[in-house]
Amino acid sequence: MSNVDFRTGSAPVPGPPNANLADILERVLDKGIVIAGDIKIDLLDIELLTIRLRLFVASVDTAKKAGIDWWETDPALSSRAARSALQDENRELRDRLASLEEGTEQSKETPRT
Amino acid sequence: MTQRASGPAAGATYVFAVTRTLDPAVVADLGGMSAGEPVRTLPLGSLVGVVQSVPAHDFTDEAWQQRLSDPHDLERCARAHNEVVSASAAYGPVIPLPLATLYLSDTRARQALESEADRFHAVLRRIAHHAEWGVKVYSSPAPPPAGADRPVPSADRGRPAPGAGLAYLERKRGLQQRREQCLEQSLRIAEEVDAELGKLATAARRLRTHGRRPSDAQGSQVLNATYLVAEQRAQEFAELTRALRGRTEARIELSGPWVPYSFISEV
Repeated sequence: MSNVDFRTGSAPVPGPPNANLADILERVLDKGIVIAGDIKIDLLDIELLTIRLRLFVASVDTAKKAGIDWWETDPALSSRAARSALQDENRELRDRLASLEEGTEQSKETPRT
Repeated sequence: MTQRASGPAAGATYVFAVTRTLDPAVVADLGGMSAGEPVRTLPLGSLVGVVQSVPAHDFTDEAWQQRLSDPHDLERCARAHNEVVSASAAYGPVIPLPLATLYLSDTRARQALESEADRFHAVLRRIAHHAEWGVKVYSSPAPPPAGADRPVPSADRGRPAPGAGLAYLERKRGLQQRREQCLEQSLRIAEEVDAELGKLATAARRLRTHGRRPSDAQGSQVLNATYLVAEQRAQEFAELTRALRGRTEARIELSGPWVPYSFISEV
């Protein structure tokens, strides 16, 4: 999957058309020539923000494309998901136990301990 | 957005970029950072600034911190900034200024930027007829074990056969090993891709790789690099990327052409 634009020719660099936000951010935020402005914006904070937001944005971008809402189902990010992950595991274990018990009962000569 | 009752709206000058020459019409219709005032050019002696007047109270450090912590606002700003910067490249090389470069007035902006004219010219010479291309390489997801899925002989449906526990551990160990091998191989591919593409580029930079996403079945990013490529080599660069994709079978993403954001500061 590429985001390539060959509208070169006389206009040199028009920038990729539907650029991924993460790609824009990592270029726009802490790049460029450093010139002191009149209004001081705390760049250190911006840098920290970049990292955090870039991760967030990258994930959301990708997820949107894939039609996934992973943050809703990822146990690390959603307590609801954490619960349901546990529930899933629990259910699975119960099923396996049930099928094991069923098997054991069929072979009656071995008493269960 | 926010309305303040503070007298005649104090203005500030937001600077997007500096270039050698630009037809103001190219940027006049762009939205820029703030509704109301058009994006325009500001003559700087031998250079031209691409600027916009914005309400000062909306562009304080405080306002920015807030704006940058809201993903939607941040996206809007980043895209708006990039849009103006990219458009400003219509007539030749352009130097993007970092997001949120602000002056109290046009006069202040002119003073500050004109005093850097030599530096600007040096950078413009270096990036003329070049564009930036981003390349990302992803590790391949670990392949499923070949036939190792059901190696456990089950004598009895209910009870595990003897040795089933050991087999289980071995399977787990095997899986871990395959994962490590995959990652190692992906890292090797990343190095190979970077080395090959680097030969075509005028300059290259590694960016921080993006973290692994919880749902990312596609594997994690093992290379996030960006290259300064001469215009006449762009086609060749894209072809090489395609060839590398075929040869390594790795997922390789190419993005560009960008204004050479990542190659501005290393004077």
